Amino acid sequence: MNEEDVKKKVKLYIQEADLYQSQGLLNEAKETYLSAGKLVKKHESVLKNKNLLKMISKKLQALKGKIDRVENEPETVNLPKNVQDIIKNKFAFSQNDDTGALEGAIALAKFGQFEAALGEFNELINRDSIRVEAAKNIIRCHKALDTIDDAVAVYQEWFDSDFFTPDQLNKLRVFFQGILDGQGIDIKLSEKPDIAKPPLNDAAESEAETPEIADSELDEEEIIDISSVGITLNEGPKKGETIEYDVSFQAGSVINLLISSDDKAFMETLRTGVMLNEVQFYSPIAMFNGRAVVSSKSEIESGPKQGYYSLDIKVVSIL
Amino acid sequence: MANINLKKREIECKIVYYGPGRCGKTTNLEYIFKTFRKQAIGEMVSANTEGDRTLFFDFLPLGLGKIKGYDVRLQLYTVPGQVKYSSTRKMVLREVDGLVFVADSIKVRRKANIESLRDLHQNLKEYGLSIAKVPLVMQHNKRDLGKQGIPLLPVEQMERDLNRQLKVPFFPASAIKGQGVGDTLKTCIKLTLQSMKKQLGW
Repeated sequence: MNEEDVKKKVKLYIQEADLYQSQGLLNEAKETYLSAGKLVKKHESVLKNKNLLKMISKKLQALKGKIDRVENEPETVNLPKNVQDIIKNKFAFSQNDDTGALEGAIALAKFGQFEAALGEFNELINRDSIRVEAAKNIIRCHKALDTIDDAVAVYQEWFDSDFFTPDQLNKLRVFFQGILDGQGIDIKLSEKPDIAKPPLNDAAESEAETPEIADSELDEEEIIDISSVGITLNEGPKKGETIEYDVSFQAGSVINLLISSDDKAFMETLRTGVMLNEVQFYSPIAMFNGRAVVSSKSEIESGPKQGYYSLDIKVVSIL
Repeated sequence: MANINLKKREIECKIVYYGPGRCGKTTNLEYIFKTFRKQAIGEMVSANTEGDRTLFFDFLPLGLGKIKGYDVRLQLYTVPGQVKYSSTRKMVLREVDGLVFVADSIKVRRKANIESLRDLHQNLKEYGLSIAKVPLVMQHNKRDLGKQGIPLLPVEQMERDLNRQLKVPFFPASAIKGQGVGDTLKTCIKLTLQSMKKQLGW
């Protein structure tokens, strides 16, 4: 290549990269600038213009700044009220008023609008049919907002009043205590003395006596809050082994697990739709066995858990 | 399945614009909002990041008039195209009635198109829907960029990559200039209403 040919080719690369940048295709622009840079370096001896490389490097530097900004953009922002209203109203699908309202509030939380969701759950707690679920979500929102002390204060208010039945309050205590223990927070929640706590063995036995529930009959409300699961592998290099994971999030019968990228071989066996026939579910009060199906999996591409896998499994039956 | 309110005699259909990041989904909706002002029954709402990328979704409500005495309303959504917003895409896709897959004609985006279509297929499957059965229209966007010197994929190549098996209607388009935007939407509405009528036994 003579000097003219190289200059022409470099110019084309730069034009192309500029256009990618104008389209917001920042990584494609970067690759193309790099190609231009490589070409200049390769033919340095024939090029009289020594500023070309400097110019490309300047463009790359500016582009790097843009890429960093995009990659570090927060994944949630506080949305204006009109957008929050759309989330609340359009992402609730149940025909039932109470369940629909709960779905709308959960949607707000899923879109990271925890303050707004908290406001909704505080209203919904007054509706009998969804009182406990709304209360659990209040605790979840405080956890997400990093205001766990407020959640403890709210729990104490519930404890001091007759707002919940003793049975409901006990459910909330077990749920919340699990979260506190899981986060290593040394707080012991108040407990009503007249509520008989099921001993671990009894609870496990009573679960064990429950006949297997058909998939379609599994009532989401019946799934207690699970803190960790043990999955026995049916295939792959670790066949027969049981691997335990902490639960990251639970919505009814769907349990989310975060799995390290070190377990890639294991993850490859967990395709969407795969039935896990031997799963141990651990809750603060009981351990039980059951079956679950892999409902989705994805690799986390950014943030502190980058490289981890996010795995959703749906409990389909308990034994 | 479209949301039918018997009391108010209203039918709401949900059409979602899907596709890889920066392919022009939001630009489609912006053009529709600008051009079909009369049909808009509310403002277009967007939740963007500072870098002008869709963070959650765009939303545009349109009114289509009456069918069999029912007021038919259309809700157009876009999904965030960036790979990391997978769970948001799935949430937006819930209860979808019709789909527009916006593919990017830029040559270097070939893989991103294929991966996004695969992602759509997977997300639909998780809702118990088949990509082969949901009303779907394909749009090959950014055809105008060829004139500016950006290498583009030939339409035939894009059809082979994305539509060989689906065989759904497709439109070359330039959403920024409005070319093909109306045809894409009209065809998707037609397919969606046909499917809805079939489901309702009308």
